[in-house]
Amino acid sequence: MNSFINLFKNMSYKRIISLSLFVLFIVASIVFVQHNHFLYERPIAKVLETELVDKTATENPFGHKDALFTQRLIAEIKNGEEKGRLIHLVNEFSVSKAYDHEFEAGDELFVSIDSENAENGDIHGSIQDVKRDTYLLYVAWVFVLVLLIVGRKQGLFSIISLVINAILLSYALDIYLSNPHWSLLLISSFAVVLFTVISLLLVNGLNEKTYAAIIATLLGTFASLFIAWLVLWLTTEKGLRYEELQFITRPYQVVFLTGLFLGSLGAVMDIAITMSSSIFNMIEKNPKIPVKALIKSGMEIGKDIMGTMTNILFFVYISGSIPILILYFKNGSPLGFALSMNLSLELARALAGGIGIVLTIPIGLYVTIFFIKRKRAGL
Amino acid sequence: MNALVVLAAILFILMTVIGKGKGVRSFFALFFNFAVIFITIIFLNDPNVNPITMTIIACIFISIINLFYINDVNKTTKTAFLSTVISTVILLVFIFIVTDKARIQGFGEEEIQELGMFSLYIGVDFVKIASAVIIMSTIGAITDAAIAISSPMREIHFHNPDISRQELFKSGLSIGRDILGTSTNTLFFAFFGSYLALLIWFKDLTYTPGEIINSKIFSAEMITILCAGIGVTLVIPITSWITAYYLVARK
Repeated sequence: MNSFINLFKNMSYKRIISLSLFVLFIVASIVFVQHNHFLYERPIAKVLETELVDKTATENPFGHKDALFTQRLIAEIKNGEEKGRLIHLVNEFSVSKAYDHEFEAGDELFVSIDSENAENGDIHGSIQDVKRDTYLLYVAWVFVLVLLIVGRKQGLFSIISLVINAILLSYALDIYLSNPHWSLLLISSFAVVLFTVISLLLVNGLNEKTYAAIIATLLGTFASLFIAWLVLWLTTEKGLRYEELQFITRPYQVVFLTGLFLGSLGAVMDIAITMSSSIFNMIEKNPKIPVKALIKSGMEIGKDIMGTMTNILFFVYISGSIPILILYFKNGSPLGFALSMNLSLELARALAGGIGIVLTIPIGLYVTIFFIKRKRAGL
Repeated sequence: MNALVVLAAILFILMTVIGKGKGVRSFFALFFNFAVIFITIIFLNDPNVNPITMTIIACIFISIINLFYINDVNKTTKTAFLSTVISTVILLVFIFIVTDKARIQGFGEEEIQELGMFSLYIGVDFVKIASAVIIMSTIGAITDAAIAISSPMREIHFHNPDISRQELFKSGLSIGRDILGTSTNTLFFAFFGSYLALLIWFKDLTYTPGEIINSKIFSAEMITILCAGIGVTLVIPITSWITAYYLVARK
């Protein structure tokens, strides 16, 4: 507690003011999102009471037991013409809740108004969706606070980098959607150059380490894209099932290839910057170190990081398929069919990303050494 | 030839040539991890198994593979292992509360047409499974951050055996901050890549911003990305503290 008070004592007034403004801003945004119903055209209702009225046990054709519950809800409408009135809703949910929800008092729902009982003035409606923006904001603030408290300046840069990259991606997709005859791969190639330059500058600042990492990242990503494309072309995409992408009315092979390209970019950047900073650090500590020794140590560093980096991509890609795989298995789908339908694209992405990561190790090493040689020749 | 087999063969050759023994181990680690995920999914099919407990067990096995198999069993990997498990459990509690409250489990209305032929009443708890998915997506990055912090901390302690616990903790935090930018970037782009098709589709559906933010699929994706960021950040102080605690005996 004492150290906490000392922390405040040591702060300048300017800091205290900006800190309080920041806290105020967080509180204001939370209050706002809890009362932003007027922004929506769809009626929103806040659940006041719930009552469980029915329970039926079910069994699907494969013998999996579940139960269906019926809930009656009374909710208050929070916006629009009917604001302040009570609405009666009926909700059905199951134990598994794969496509339904159990509601509690306090939940906010998007509803549609179906009928009005002339006698007692009750409104009846049906549930459309859940209002999720409040929770999204809470998690976003936890994210921002954790990154700022733990990461300080670097945390702030990570947040900025996420926001800029997300806006850039959204903008690139808009360009693609309004010009469908342009190649998505070409648009994203431009975007990738921007992503790389912006992210690496934010992570590492303006210096030679960053320049070397930018060049290595671009060479590494495009090399892995080329290899992936070549393999898909030579094998005529045998073993890949595009069914899970067919909901988009766009050429899904290109979308898949672009996702593959974009997905490995962060990992490739990580490898490139690790290689270039560690080699530059060795030079700083011992300017006379021979190139041969640099290559040897660089390869040792590369060995250490390749495994964990490929694992990061692997888990991000594969984990998302867990719910759908369970659904397939529970519905009696054959093992091989379920796996190839839901994992082939993810595995291809993970493997191609891994190829990019491993290739970037020697690329990053030699690009950095090229920079060092140039510097030495110039001196 | 199957495209996946060819890609796997290329990756294996590259890892062997560039990484030698450790590269080969890293390649096999991918297979072992796949096996762990696969076995976890099989267990998750059983309604009597709690998906949260199952996920923690799976994360323990994955950390064993990523830390002890790829590297060695030593002080560094032991502290990294402990940090990974503790971070995972803390994160899992947070994720479960969020998933439950925001109701982002299961499938969105946009996906449901594709699943028309399936029975959705299968008796397993999708809220817990959704939490499992989020933590499993991040486990690779969490073990990576844990080892990346505890390994140089051990070096620092080795070169300055008289360093105080507080000092060592602080240098751990500063190492963590240096890798924070790149590890969050790695995760963000991996998620961008895997959500690309859905993003294009959302743009095609011409939803209003309000509909996008509140839709199950979009908010689930955003929450996953944010929780992953929280995870790789939280592991920094946890690993620094555990490593400092283990390396420096109380005076």
